[in-house]
Amino acid sequence: MTESPRRLGLKLSMQRPPRIQPGDIVPVFQRWIQQHSVEGMLIDVIDYKHVPEGPGIILIADEADYAYDLGDGELGLHYVRKRGLPADLRGAIRLVFRRALAAALLLEEEAPGDIVFDYRRLKLNFLDRILYRNDAAAFEAVQAEVAASLAEVFGAPVTVQRLSEDPRQLFALGCAVSDDAKVRPAALLAKLEGDS
Amino acid sequence: MTSWKEILQDKIPAEMGNLIDIYEAQMELRKQGKLDEKVFAEARLRKGVYGQRYDNGQRHDGVRTRGLDYPSDEVVKGPDTLWDAPGMQRIKIPYGGMSAEQLEVLSELADEYSDGIMHITTRQDIQLHYVHIDDTPDLMRRLAAAGITTQEACGNSVRNITACTLAGVCHDEVFDVSPYADAMTYFLLSHDDVQDFGRKFKVAFSGCAGHACGLVKMHDLGLLAQTREIDGRTVRGFTVYVGGGLGTVPHQAKVLAEFCTEEELLPLTQAVARVFARLGEKKNRNRARIKFLVAKLGIDEFRREVEEELKIVPPDPRHDAYIDNLGAFEYQPAKAGMALNGAPLPEGFAEWYATNVYHQAQPGYSAITLHTPLGDFTAKQGFALADIARQYVGDNIRLSVEQNIVLRWVADADLPAIYRDLCAIGLGDAGADTIVDITACPGTDTCKLGIASSRGLTAELRTRLIEKINLLPDAVRELKIKVSGCFNSCGQHHVADIGFFGNSRRSGNHKMPHFQVVLGGQWQQNAGSYGLAVGAVPAKNVPAALEALTERYVAERGADENFQSWVKTLGRKEIKAMLKPFMQLPKFEENPGYFSDWGDSRVYTIDDIGVGECAGEVVSLFSMEISRAESTHFEALLALDDGDFAMADETAYKAMLLAARALVRTKYLDVGDDANNIVSEFRSRFYDTELVYDRFAKGKFARYLFKRHGGAPSRVDEDYAHQIIDETQLFIENIHTAEQRINGVIVS
Repeated sequence: MTESPRRLGLKLSMQRPPRIQPGDIVPVFQRWIQQHSVEGMLIDVIDYKHVPEGPGIILIADEADYAYDLGDGELGLHYVRKRGLPADLRGAIRLVFRRALAAALLLEEEAPGDIVFDYRRLKLNFLDRILYRNDAAAFEAVQAEVAASLAEVFGAPVTVQRLSEDPRQLFALGCAVSDDAKVRPAALLAKLEGDS
Repeated sequence: MTSWKEILQDKIPAEMGNLIDIYEAQMELRKQGKLDEKVFAEARLRKGVYGQRYDNGQRHDGVRTRGLDYPSDEVVKGPDTLWDAPGMQRIKIPYGGMSAEQLEVLSELADEYSDGIMHITTRQDIQLHYVHIDDTPDLMRRLAAAGITTQEACGNSVRNITACTLAGVCHDEVFDVSPYADAMTYFLLSHDDVQDFGRKFKVAFSGCAGHACGLVKMHDLGLLAQTREIDGRTVRGFTVYVGGGLGTVPHQAKVLAEFCTEEELLPLTQAVARVFARLGEKKNRNRARIKFLVAKLGIDEFRREVEEELKIVPPDPRHDAYIDNLGAFEYQPAKAGMALNGAPLPEGFAEWYATNVYHQAQPGYSAITLHTPLGDFTAKQGFALADIARQYVGDNIRLSVEQNIVLRWVADADLPAIYRDLCAIGLGDAGADTIVDITACPGTDTCKLGIASSRGLTAELRTRLIEKINLLPDAVRELKIKVSGCFNSCGQHHVADIGFFGNSRRSGNHKMPHFQVVLGGQWQQNAGSYGLAVGAVPAKNVPAALEALTERYVAERGADENFQSWVKTLGRKEIKAMLKPFMQLPKFEENPGYFSDWGDSRVYTIDDIGVGECAGEVVSLFSMEISRAESTHFEALLALDDGDFAMADETAYKAMLLAARALVRTKYLDVGDDANNIVSEFRSRFYDTELVYDRFAKGKFARYLFKRHGGAPSRVDEDYAHQIIDETQLFIENIHTAEQRINGVIVS
C-alpha cells in the first residue's frame, strides 16, 4: 500500500475560458454554504481574484478547500483535501476525485453551456514535501499506482506525467485518459460514490 | 514516519528549537485540559498563532447565524476559540529583509499549510491564513531552519521591528538603520524585560526625518537616525520618540531623548521596556499601550522614570557588542552597477519606470517596487521571484509597510530585463506609491474585529482607479489611500491623504456597512500628522464620494497646494457638506445592494464580530512562565515514555528551575538564567522565609529542587526518572499554591 500524502489536491480544468467572471463565483459559493450544496463543513468564501494565476475564489471548508482556481493559466475547480484522507494513496485519489467531480458538475449547473469542464484530464497536487518530494524517485514510486487507480475509475488506460522538474515545486502529476475512452462524468461520479 | 523535527534538527538553532518544543508541549497540555485557556492563548499569540473570524464556531450565512461544527468542538485554543477553527500565522520579517532562500521556504509553507497565498502586512510581516493550529509547530521549525522566527509576532510583547525599505540605498538617510533594527530585534527577542507588558509594543527605525518610510512618530518607540560631532568625531545615534500610536485614539510620539548614541540605544530601550512593564496599565487593555502611560505621566516624568531605570539596568555585554558587527552588515549585489544602455525598451516599461523605480544612492543601481495587490502574492510567484532575485539582486529583498516587495541593488542596465521577467509572473504592474497602491488590513475577510470589508472596498477602488489612472491629474495620482476594516487602524488610515475605516449604521431594521472618511493625514515626515474624520459614508457610496472629493480637490486647489493643506483650508464643515449627498441611507426595500458589503453577496450583519486577539488577554508574567515549566515537565514525561531516563531527569530538573524562576521573578525580575542564582534567590526569598511552606509538608517540595540541584545520581534508571518527575509535579503545584498565597490571583 502506498501511503497517501498529508494533503492532496485535484484540479479539473475547463474546456475553454467561460464568460462568467471569477467575481461572480463569490455569491455562488456563498449560496453553496447556505444550502450546503457540497460535502464538508463549509466555513467561508475568500476572494483572491486580484492575484494573477492565483487560487481565485476559495470556498473554505474545515477538511478541504474548493477553489475556482486561476492557476497555471487554466481556470478550473481545485479540490484540496487538508485532513481526513484515507491512509492509502488509491483511496485518497478516489476521495478527492469524487469531491472535485461533484463540485465541478454543480458548478456547470450554475452557468450551463458556459462553464464546461474537461473531465478527460486532471491534475494531482501532492501537498506534502516530506513524503512526496518532487523528484524522479517519487514519480517512479507512484506512477503505476496513480495510473491504475484512475484507470479503474475511468475504465480505460490513463497516462501520468510529472508536471515540473523544479525540486522546489510541489510534486504534481498531469493525468489523462486515453483518447478513445468514453467519459461520462455522471457515471464516473456514480462509480466513485460507491466508495462512500 | 519521518518528521520535520527530525529532518531539520541540525539546522534549527537550539534556543529556537527549544521554544518550539515548549509550545508544542503546551498545545498537548491544552488539549488535555491541563493548561488554562487564557494562558495558552497568550502563549500561542506570542508564537504568532492568531485567531481568525468564525473561530468561535458560528457564522452568519446571509440568512441566519449557523453553528460551525468543528470536529474537536470541546477543545478550545483560547477563550471562545475552537481548536480546529482555521487561524492565521504571523511571521516576523525584521525590517522586511529576507533572502531568496527564505522566500522559498515561505512559499513552501503557503503551499502546504495555508491557501497558497502570502500576505504582506503593514508591519513588514508575512501572514498565512487558514492555518490549522496542529500544523504550526512544524511550520515554525521549517521557518527556524531558514533563520525566521514567529516568536512574539503577536501577543503582549515586542512586535516585528520595522525600518525604511530604502535603508542603506537612500539618498537622504543619515545612515543605514538596518543593522540597528537587526540588532535590536535579536536583543529584545524573548528578553525577560519584554514579557510583562499589558499590551503590544511596536518599534520602528527611520533613516531620515523628511520621508515617510520609518513612520517613527506613530510608534510606541521610534528611532530616528542622527549624527553629532562629539570631540571632533562624528558619532552616530538616534532621536528617540516614545508613546506614538494609531488605534482608536491616535497619539503623536514625544521626544524622549534628542540624541542617544549607538552605545546607549539598547540599554535605553531596555529601560523604556522596564518602565512600561512596571507602570503600564495591565487591567484595562484599552488603556494599556505605552502612549497612555506617557500621556498619564507626561513626557518629563516618563523620561525621569526611564533615567532612573537606566541606572539599574543590569550590565549586558550585548549592549554594545553589536556595534563591532555593524561593518559586517554589507549588501552583496548580484551584479556590478551599470547604467541603462539604450537597448529597446519593452512595452509598458516607461510607465513602470516612472512609478516603481528608485535610483539608489549607489550609482548604477536602483531599488524597484513590486506592487502586490492587497499585499497578496502566491507561492508560485514566490518561487519565481526567488529565481529573479538570485539572477538580478541576490538576497536584497525587502517587504514594505505599504504591503509591497522591494528588490534593491538592481543594476540599471538590467531594468528592462527584470521588468519583463516580473511581468511574466504578474508582478510587473506600474503604479507603486500612487493612488492605485492602496493599503488595506484584512478586515471582515479574516479578522475577528472587522466591521466592514476593507479588502472588498480596496479591490473595488483599485479596479476603478486603474481603469482611469492615465486620465488622472498628477495631484490625484500622488494621493495615498489607506483602508481599515474597523477603528483599530491596522490599515493606517490616520496617516493617509484619504483614509477609510469600517463602521456600520442602521437604516430601518437593517444594518448597512459604512466607512468613516478620514482626510488629510500625513504620510511624509514619518507620519507627521493625523487625519480628520469627516463623516461616515455607506460602503457602496465610497467610490462616488472619492471621485467627488478628488475632482473638487483638483478644481479648487491652489498652485502647488497639497491635499493636507487643501483639507485644512476647506474645513471639516464644508467637507461634510460636500459628502452629505453620499451619506443618505436608502431603505432596504429600495436598494438592497446597499445592505451587502463589497465582494460579499450576503446581507450585511455585524453578528460575526468576535473578541479580538490583537490585544491579547492580559495574562500575568507568572502565568506565562509557570506554563513553560509545566510544558517542560510534560516533555520529561515524554522522555520517560521513550525510555530516555537521563533526558527525563534533566528535563524534569529544568522544569523545576523554570518554576522556581517564575516565582522568583514575581519579586526579582533580574534573576537571570543561571541555575545557581535561581536556586539561591529562591532559597533566600521563599524557602528561608517559609513562604513556599506547605501547611503539612512544610518545605519538603522545595527541597526536591535543592536535592536535584545538588547533582544528578550517578545512575539514572526508570524508577529514579519516575520519582523525579513526580517530585517535579509536586514542586510545580507547590509553586502555584505559594504564588496564589503571596500574590493573589494568577490570571488577571
